[in-house]
Amino acid sequence: MTTALLSFFSKLFNPVWLTGPLLDKELRVSSRRRRNYVLRFAYVLLLTIFVVIVWLSVVKFQGTAAYQKSRMAVADKTIITTIVTFQFIATQLIAVIMLSTSISDEVYNRTLGLLMTTPINSFQIVMGKLFSKLLQLILLLAISLPLLAIVRIFGGVPWDYIISSFCITLTAVIFVGSLSLFFSIFSRRAYVVIIVTILTLGVLFALLPFSAGMLWNAITGDWPGRALTAAIFYHNPFGVLFFKTEMMMSPRMGGGMPFFSWPLHCGIMLAASAVVLSASVINVRKVALRQATGQSDSSFRKRRSYTNAAVGASNQQDFAAVPRRVKGPSVLWKELRFPMFGRHKAATFIGNFVCLSLLFTTYWLCAEKHLLDDEETHILYAVIFLGLGILVTVVLASTCITSEKESRSWPLLLATTLDDRDILFGKFVGTLWRCFPIWLFLFGHTIIFSLAGFVHPIAIIQIGILVAWVVVFLSGTGLYFSSCYKHTTTAVIMNFALAAVIWGILPLLMVIVVGITREGRDFLEVYMNTNPFVHTTVIMEASVNKPGSYRWLSFGRQAVLDGVESTAWMLVCMVGYMLLGFLFAWRAEFRFRQNIF
Amino acid sequence: MIETKNLTKNYGNLTAVDDLNLTIQDGDIFGFIGPNGAGKTTTMRILVTLLEPTRGKAFINGLDVRRHGKKVRRLVGYMPDFMGVYDDLKVFEYLEFFAAAFGIERKKRKSIVEGVLELTDLQSKRSVTVDSLSRGMQQRLGLARVLIHDPKVLILDEPASGLDPRARIEIRELLRELKRMGKTIMISSHILSELEEICDHIGIIEHGRLVFSGTLEEILSQLGIQSKVRVRVANNQNKAVELLTALPQIRQVQVFGDYIAVTFREGQDGDGIIARTLVNADLDIVSIQPERLKLDDAFLQLTKGVVH
Repeated sequence: MTTALLSFFSKLFNPVWLTGPLLDKELRVSSRRRRNYVLRFAYVLLLTIFVVIVWLSVVKFQGTAAYQKSRMAVADKTIITTIVTFQFIATQLIAVIMLSTSISDEVYNRTLGLLMTTPINSFQIVMGKLFSKLLQLILLLAISLPLLAIVRIFGGVPWDYIISSFCITLTAVIFVGSLSLFFSIFSRRAYVVIIVTILTLGVLFALLPFSAGMLWNAITGDWPGRALTAAIFYHNPFGVLFFKTEMMMSPRMGGGMPFFSWPLHCGIMLAASAVVLSASVINVRKVALRQATGQSDSSFRKRRSYTNAAVGASNQQDFAAVPRRVKGPSVLWKELRFPMFGRHKAATFIGNFVCLSLLFTTYWLCAEKHLLDDEETHILYAVIFLGLGILVTVVLASTCITSEKESRSWPLLLATTLDDRDILFGKFVGTLWRCFPIWLFLFGHTIIFSLAGFVHPIAIIQIGILVAWVVVFLSGTGLYFSSCYKHTTTAVIMNFALAAVIWGILPLLMVIVVGITREGRDFLEVYMNTNPFVHTTVIMEASVNKPGSYRWLSFGRQAVLDGVESTAWMLVCMVGYMLLGFLFAWRAEFRFRQNIF
Repeated sequence: MIETKNLTKNYGNLTAVDDLNLTIQDGDIFGFIGPNGAGKTTTMRILVTLLEPTRGKAFINGLDVRRHGKKVRRLVGYMPDFMGVYDDLKVFEYLEFFAAAFGIERKKRKSIVEGVLELTDLQSKRSVTVDSLSRGMQQRLGLARVLIHDPKVLILDEPASGLDPRARIEIRELLRELKRMGKTIMISSHILSELEEICDHIGIIEHGRLVFSGTLEEILSQLGIQSKVRVRVANNQNKAVELLTALPQIRQVQVFGDYIAVTFREGQDGDGIIARTLVNADLDIVSIQPERLKLDDAFLQLTKGVVH
């Protein structure tokens, strides 16, 4: 009896029943991968840099000792907020990337069907995959815990904030990871999973609360109250953490803030994760069984491939679709034969219809509130469209060669008599072609509101200049990384990291460093004014309400240029970035035949 | 002609190909065999200009593969050990794409593609997407792609792997046909019995070094693997064994159930002697069947099967 009870309890508390041997295998494999150590190192390095810079900027060593002491409490709160925000964003991003290939790798390597021939069930497969990555993410979160604890002791930050932010981050990571894992069942390509997950999160955490608030405002003529705001944001970790942080930084503002019970929020996030994981378990089982019974690659193959396979015996139907003839340079033909708006016409139409409907609804709501006269509205739209364009360009450019490597057609292409330059040109033009539709949002917005008289027509030309160099630059860097790496995911991450560093992290660090040292302002101004987001903001600001008055970024000085001067500056930036883009593309050509995998 | 001189390829500390000297004459079918990781694929990749050798030289029809990459690629058709496919490209489009990539004029492409489709018996699949083809069909398509620019030299890395028996036989026939057309073919395969049937010369590679190159007969002779015959008699098997053992041309006589395995001495071969001897002794012969020379035996003797 005792033995049976002991056995029951040891089984109950043994994680093996939850994950099977998969967790053990995943942990073994991940410990052998260099990238995990690099990731931890990069995480700690970035965290340290941010903390040090925030510390230096808040304490300001130029003042007296008394002044410096008076800054300590602010410094502690700011440092804790920095750490919490950093780990909140970083761990979610890492979770999306880490789990983006969790199931697809098993499907692609045909090991999922093999797993189904063992006593392991699909629940254990899903949990094993999730927990193995979660353990690594918890390790990253744990790295900053001692720092948080020390700063808390000296800074008077409430324990409640430390614990709640940790739990909010953890539950958000579980939800985001579950979502990424779910999408990885349906796509082999990690970048597709990453983009779809980010877009889904954007809809859940940004578009839905925004639309709900705007709709409420449009119906009632008033903004949602505290209770309703809390209801709208309860499923949103960004909102909950934001309000918690605001309450901690400025407790006096608490009266005007919506109240959030963080355990309830965490419970909601865990429940949502459970729903997503249940769906994953069901779908993994379906895919695994299909693979185990010999219907391999089922979730990856396109429906049309099935149709073709099914009708393979029927010659009449095979001949029904007439193949297209190759025209012009072969690589260029292959790249351009890809339909601009995707292959699945019905799905594309429905997707475009839903997106455009949502977009026009937001325009209608803005028009109702007379926000279309406001420059900030146009800046917001333009920046969002620019960000979307950059994201898609980064991804598409990075996939152009790695996708050939992954489908193993790259050596075949290199074994032909084509010059490397022909291949490079074809790939480059193909990338521009595929990127074009996403930039229609930015162009469309500018053109429509220019025709409607809200935006000055010169903005169309200036946006054209901006888009041209952003696309050429990112296509060049994408081609380079695509030629360097075997896997699409690595190339996408590298291209994304480059864009994030030069247009996000570096400017941020430079602003903080210049703020501390008070040197190098001129260089910072010039550097910041080459940033595409600054360009977009300046163009939209000058085109909506202040025609001809372009206010470029400056630190304490007047930097207003007229239309001609600003356009000239934009052309200078265009030439510089385009040259850089071509340089990267040129270097890519040299890497074509190195390490062809 | 394919020729390599002291060809060496290092991957870091690993030497994949080590001072390889190889000569393949025009119009030959050369079987390139070796254990996994022996350096076959690396050698082939160097010959088709996909890899640069660390040392040494390789020539295709007298052209240095390092210096005349583009000209060499025009001469060579390479079929790798995997099928690289483009999603959503149809069979005809796939072949025409490669025809265009090899610089074939547009007006000639259609007839050329139709020709190779016919040669590889893929006409019925011309409008099917490549990724929906079965493994065997994809191998055929790979062969069709190799032939699209009418190369003088074919380098085929395991073209028959994963194929069913019918498809293997068809590919074998196709290779014979290509040989008749005057192509020089270098082929690697793990199915040695097939290479025995189609290859004029065999090269055995291990640890990146060529351990033997020559005809099958030369290999067997060098290893002392003699020809054998199987003899079946209707009655008095013991007497037959006695008579055959006494013959000076015969080295060994063994009984396996209802047949006698007879091994000749080196350089000796004589079914006629056996028949005469048994008939003279009034023994009823059921069959005298020459036992086929086995490349497997030679391969096992020449290689240690150690992968590095």
